[in-house]
Amino acid sequence: MALSLRSIRNGALIAVLLGIPVLLLRSTAADPHGMSAFDRAVRRIGAPLEAAVSYSAGMLGAFFERWVLQAQLQDTNERIAGENRELRQRMRELVHLQEENQQLRRALQMREKVPDDMIPAERVGVDQSPFFRVVNIRIDRGSEYARTGMAVLSPDGVVGRIDKSFDDYSDVMLITDPRSKIAVELARTKAQGILEGRTEDSCTLEVPKDFDVQVGELVQTSGVDELFPKGHPVGQVTEVEPLVGDKQRLHVVPAVRFDRIDVVWVVLANAPRPDPHGERARKAVQARGLQPIQ
Amino acid sequence: MLRTFVYLMLGWVLIAVVGGLADVLSLTIMLPATTAVVVTHAAFSVGISMPLGLGLAIGLGYIEDLHQGAPIGTLALAHALGFIVLRWASGRIAITGWVTRAAAGLVAAALFDALTLTILLVLSEPLEVPRDALWAAIGVLHWHALATLLVAPPLWSGVDRLLTALRLDDRPPQQAYWTGK
Repeated sequence: MALSLRSIRNGALIAVLLGIPVLLLRSTAADPHGMSAFDRAVRRIGAPLEAAVSYSAGMLGAFFERWVLQAQLQDTNERIAGENRELRQRMRELVHLQEENQQLRRALQMREKVPDDMIPAERVGVDQSPFFRVVNIRIDRGSEYARTGMAVLSPDGVVGRIDKSFDDYSDVMLITDPRSKIAVELARTKAQGILEGRTEDSCTLEVPKDFDVQVGELVQTSGVDELFPKGHPVGQVTEVEPLVGDKQRLHVVPAVRFDRIDVVWVVLANAPRPDPHGERARKAVQARGLQPIQ
Repeated sequence: MLRTFVYLMLGWVLIAVVGGLADVLSLTIMLPATTAVVVTHAAFSVGISMPLGLGLAIGLGYIEDLHQGAPIGTLALAHALGFIVLRWASGRIAITGWVTRAAAGLVAAALFDALTLTILLVLSEPLEVPRDALWAAIGVLHWHALATLLVAPPLWSGVDRLLTALRLDDRPPQQAYWTGK
């Protein structure tokens, strides 16, 4: 058994090295809470390294956190954008429903105001001029209900008359049509006249000069023609033009925006005249010998 | 000697990195024992003599003592004893491939923890360490070993690459990691 000098030296070194931690433990056991000068020196030497590593790790961690946060924000943004699109779509639908509801309410109110027998109709088409003005509208009531000459009303005012009636639809001649002539009166002065269509968005009316007509005065149906119910708005006076003689010409702009009509009412029959004897109690008609079987 | 110095500095940097990342990621339990992997790598390296390797283990253990706030000398002695055991094992088994590296990390971490716990239990009274706290710590040691298992293979490869880059690799060229053998 031969031990080399190298082995002996290594063994001694190992023993000495193992003694180091033992001595450290013994020192610590003597003063568990104290630090030797060597400990403090090692800490001081390693402090910059640890600080640099901790700073780098912190930067890396911050970048990671920021990256994760950005990813989360992007996901959240996409989700909120999707919800926003849905809500906007829903809001548009609600606005549409609200407008439709208002139109229907106004139509219902008009239906209650006008005593004549009417039927609702929906606009299904328009004819427009090259300048995008409406000159003719088409409704979804055919010859089964509508006849030529029947009045067509909307909650805003008079629309026109049935021009042509087909199987499933009818064309309405607007009051701005040059062929159109309806009996009207001024709401304030009660001056009566015939409103004639002039251009695509105006009509004219001639009344005697002795009526003091103001711009902005309301023009309404007079009911003289027995087509339109009396007192329904037609338009407003925009200009008063004196003519030679005893007449003055009034330029009237229709009360109805023809490009915004959705629902109209077709007047099927005029309201019956008031019964002059309605207020009185009717006298019982004599049975003349006939009576119910008992 | 230079190789030992590289191991020491690498182990020191890893201790600081693990501490910094644990602080950033708010980890307290799943911290890998990187010094255990470095010491195991050194123990299975033929380019380091027993005294140098022992000195390396004591040095890394001492630094761990300072970082972990353990009684000075506890982890140094545990690392020294663990290095001796690993050195003894290196003459009987070889570590090749990712699986054995992971297993070596797991075993080394468990070994160092067991030695540390034994030393603290034996010296609990003079070191003023409550034994109840030591028994409670046993319940989380498996997380320590598991984290080391996960870290060991890439860390082992990283040490190989670093030593090769510094021309300190002691393996013959046909066994170098890039040959795939």
